[in-house]
Amino acid sequence: MAVRPSVRRLIPRAHGYQRGMLLAGGAVVAAVVVVAVFAPLLAPYGFAQLRDAHGYFGAQRPPSARHWLGTTVGGYDVLSRVIWGSQTAFEVIVAGTVVALLLGSLLGLASGYAGGRADGVLVALTDAIYAFPALLLAIVLAIVVSGGSSGRWSGILSTAVTVTIIFLPQYFRVVRAETTRLKHEPFVESARVVGVPRRRILVRHILVNATRTLPLVVTLNAGGAVATLAGLGFVGYGIEPTAAAEWGYDLNRAQSDIAAGIWWTALFPGLAIALTVLGITLFGEGLNDVRDPRLRARRTPRREPPPGPAEVRESAGLLDVEHLSVSFTTDGGTVDAVEDVSLTVAPGEILAIVGESGSGKTVTARSALALLPDTASARGVVLVRGRDVLRAGGRELRRVRGRDIAVIFQEPGTALNPVHTVGWQIAEALRAHRSITRRQARARAVELLDRVGIPDPDLRVGHYPHQFSGGQQQRIVIALALALDAPLLVADEPTTALDVTVQADILDLLRDLRDTRHVAIVLITHNMGVVADLADRVAVMRRGRLVEQADVRTLFAAPRHEYTRALLAAVPRLSVERPASPPLSGDTVVEARGLVVEYPGRLGSPAFRAVDGVDLRIARGEVLGLVGESGSGKTTIARAVAGLVPAGGDLRVLGVDLAGSRERQFRTVRRHLGFVFQDPATSFNPKRTIGDGIAEPLRAHGDPTAAEVRRRVGELLDAVQLDAGHAGRYPHELSGGQRQRAALARALALQPRLLIADEPTSALDVSVQQRVLDLFAALQKELGFAVLFISHDLAVVNALADRVGVLYRGRLVEEGERRQVLTSPAHDYTRRLIAASPVPDPVEQAARRAHRLADEATA
Amino acid sequence: MTTLVEAPGEGAGAEPETTRPRPRGLGLGRYVLVRFLLILPTVFVLTTVVFFLMRVIGDPITAAYGDRLTAAQLRQRIHEAGYDRNVFAQYADYLGDIARGDFGTTFTDHVRVGSMLTTYGTATLELVVYSLVVALAVGPVLGTVAARLRDRGADVALRIFAILTYATPVFFVGLLLKLVFAARLGWLPVNGRLTTADEIALEVRGHKSGIYLLDALRAGDGPMAADVLQHAVLPAVALGLLSTGIFLRLFRTNLMSTLDADYVLAARSRGVGEWRLTTRHAARPALVPIITVMGLQVASLLGGAVLTEITFEWKGLGYELAQYLQARDYVAVQGIVVVLAVIVAVVNFLVDVLAAVIDPRVRY
Repeated sequence: MAVRPSVRRLIPRAHGYQRGMLLAGGAVVAAVVVVAVFAPLLAPYGFAQLRDAHGYFGAQRPPSARHWLGTTVGGYDVLSRVIWGSQTAFEVIVAGTVVALLLGSLLGLASGYAGGRADGVLVALTDAIYAFPALLLAIVLAIVVSGGSSGRWSGILSTAVTVTIIFLPQYFRVVRAETTRLKHEPFVESARVVGVPRRRILVRHILVNATRTLPLVVTLNAGGAVATLAGLGFVGYGIEPTAAAEWGYDLNRAQSDIAAGIWWTALFPGLAIALTVLGITLFGEGLNDVRDPRLRARRTPRREPPPGPAEVRESAGLLDVEHLSVSFTTDGGTVDAVEDVSLTVAPGEILAIVGESGSGKTVTARSALALLPDTASARGVVLVRGRDVLRAGGRELRRVRGRDIAVIFQEPGTALNPVHTVGWQIAEALRAHRSITRRQARARAVELLDRVGIPDPDLRVGHYPHQFSGGQQQRIVIALALALDAPLLVADEPTTALDVTVQADILDLLRDLRDTRHVAIVLITHNMGVVADLADRVAVMRRGRLVEQADVRTLFAAPRHEYTRALLAAVPRLSVERPASPPLSGDTVVEARGLVVEYPGRLGSPAFRAVDGVDLRIARGEVLGLVGESGSGKTTIARAVAGLVPAGGDLRVLGVDLAGSRERQFRTVRRHLGFVFQDPATSFNPKRTIGDGIAEPLRAHGDPTAAEVRRRVGELLDAVQLDAGHAGRYPHELSGGQRQRAALARALALQPRLLIADEPTSALDVSVQQRVLDLFAALQKELGFAVLFISHDLAVVNALADRVGVLYRGRLVEEGERRQVLTSPAHDYTRRLIAASPVPDPVEQAARRAHRLADEATA
Repeated sequence: MTTLVEAPGEGAGAEPETTRPRPRGLGLGRYVLVRFLLILPTVFVLTTVVFFLMRVIGDPITAAYGDRLTAAQLRQRIHEAGYDRNVFAQYADYLGDIARGDFGTTFTDHVRVGSMLTTYGTATLELVVYSLVVALAVGPVLGTVAARLRDRGADVALRIFAILTYATPVFFVGLLLKLVFAARLGWLPVNGRLTTADEIALEVRGHKSGIYLLDALRAGDGPMAADVLQHAVLPAVALGLLSTGIFLRLFRTNLMSTLDADYVLAARSRGVGEWRLTTRHAARPALVPIITVMGLQVASLLGGAVLTEITFEWKGLGYELAQYLQARDYVAVQGIVVVLAVIVAVVNFLVDVLAAVIDPRVRY
């Protein structure tokens, strides 16, 4: 089977029982194949042999020395029929999987990539076949294909055709689903942007990545083939016993033996079927588990049960972390996430723990509730109100959680249970700790929703999470944290998933809670502006260690540790003065008038207008920054300019009218385009090297020799300050920042006249972001390409753009010279946006906040 | 055949990739309507495929009587039945009949296929219900246990048990059960739905619903009800085991993924106990994909029912189908197949509506 080569790599990854499943299943399958191939040598008699030199075998003889497994009602040797039957089964498996695999995968690929009406018809057709009882379909097809005759080849052929038709939809479904997902992956889209031919995209980028689930389907298919063959045989559509041995047919014939207590005629062919399907299924499921990281068995360190009630220290503060270390057991060995961290939090204090990804800040905070995954082991002491939570038992922990310490999560959308009303969730939190009536719980829930600023709390208490906006959801998460008056809140990146104007409101709410209720907050964040706005004290973490702890003003004014200084220096600032950019001059690279982009609505619901009548122009060598919050249409504009979504209105890119032209005309323009996507994780094809990816635009527009490609890729890597050796590496071997620089190299490969960058640094840590932005600015100055730069971060745009456009709900509300827009904005929304962006300076931020709140009060 | 036909994606515990309209954002009423209308193309495609496939092999008269009648007699009968007309004209008539609810009349014994639904369909229904009782009593509970005890010994054992139940053909399980509990131990009857005496008694009383347990209870006949149940045990277990394994696996993988969800962690951070986390927080969101996949399993359950009926001589639609197959009565076969396909389409619709009702994101 096609799965073999990958298996060798998988077995080391598998462990425990999943490895056992894989190996046992593989052994059974291998045994069946061996028996099938060597059946003529292994079987004592022929499958249709009735007699030998000693005379007829006789019917229904029990197992004996001559017939180890007895004889059938027809007078055949059972053992021989079972052995020969494996040959029939093997032939059906091969014949029934190959065509279904090839045809189904290709159809799925074509249908998923093309989309449209043909895709819809194919999906409806395969869905109908899929919903049809397979056995009935098999019967109908067996009648059609074999016409009722049941010789060896007609029998095998009819089963194989049936199995092919039954399983073809499954290959179609999985490959189509993968293809529809993959075709919007950045690495596929970046190939489209530079005009790589479609066939090449389909094969090189999509097909190689869409085969992820195929091995599992192949095993399902193989098992299904055996079961179908047997099922048909059992209902009387099997192969005649004189043509070939077939287990299902023998079972059918053995049915009447059962009542008479003749067990051997049914048992052995049945066991053969069951064992074969079982082997294939074990193998397939083992494979599936091992390949899917969510299903893979976890290594969990053995945990000692707590020796009794945890130690309670009377003298301690609200939260005391002493010499905490946390390590995780992973497939690659033990990883230390936190090492020797000590912290304290006093009542009413806001402590910010800042650090970049992997610094251990979240793990440290979660330790305070003993909410670590099973794969973690923690050492040290964590005292919450004097109680050692790392050594507390289940019941004791439940009392601490929610009552003494509560959490606000990063993603409010996933922290709320989608199938329960928010009122139910608040009431549950209350009733987990206190015995109160339903009515009291509801009243308290309404009160809490009101407290966190949800309008109409009386009505909203009965609503489900998806009926609230992202900001409101976060308020509800906060309400849940407040439910039991916990004196300590852990806020884990509470505003990272939110827009900047919403973020300001949430930060105000948290500050207000501290001021009015004296709640202490541990604030986990990577955003220095948020720290400056809210924190009293700051702890800086790096690679699991605490590098510096100080009062917030001291830390920003006089950071002691080198890392803290570097971190603060890397934060882009809105206040940085750059000379005003010269007014627009030179040829026009992009010109849009009344640009409209709509996404069609589903099932008759109206289309969604993502971009609504936008006018903009980019001149040669100019950087236009587009800023806006989520849903403002900024990414859609970038995609429209790159020809990735169809646009209405007038849109001319590099002299070609995009709105009216077809892809073929636009292809000539594509060699002058570069695109950098947001997510470095998916910007390169995981199955191909970085060098391959960078060379792709070169190959799409010309026929360079291998030496030329190597030289140019080397140059490009050098330009983005990567070692030439990176060309031979695979994407997962590079860090996010390295990948984003390589993506920049790919975008610059053909020396484009226009570069489109969609939030190229928003997924990066701040120090990495700074490097990428510096590089970007330097290359732009050197090469002089025009840039459409999309960002949600005003400070980042300030660092790069010549002109700035502000988008709000699909409309361009303001556009002009960068300094002009950012220092003296004309539009009210721009002013709000600037006021809401916290600056990384606690003194200035305090003044700005006061100013903003005063403004809001008067308004 | 019935065992392994399932969506491969669901093994990941993720929502299966359904190509049906995603209910998100539509009102429930509208969703139900759209989903209901989607039955029509499904049934249309199936009837069309079955019709033309069955015509490929020639006319049903030659199939049934080809070896018994002379060529002239055959031609005469074919002409009388209209099988020599244009195939598309026959197809149009056939569609018209179906639209009126007429699924044809069997060839060999002139029974209307539609009326078989009330005589034999009830037997199939009774079998399916018993097997679902078995499966629902065992599968979800064991699946929940496996998900909670993930990767421990009990989970591994349950996992292997589940694979065993859906890897073993249902007719082999049936034969084994018969061999042990009927032939060897003699605890339970081998075949059929009732002993002959009770069958006759039921016939004499008349007014039967076709669901024997109901008929016996309505007549207040305790011993007969016991007899019905005794006959039902082995077939129900054989067919039920098949679904048990699938339910077990569905609950295991989907609960495992919802137990890992952020909202479960969030509820745990508020001091909610583990039992409640499983039953109230993880179970209901897990049900949405479970029910969707269960809809896809209806087809395999019905296929399993056909095989179980043949194994236990349980006189339902599947058993009849096998009889007509033997007699090469392809009009009957075509009729029964289409009826079963329509049932699958309708049950699928009901299951999707149930999933939509459980998910509040559809309701509002």
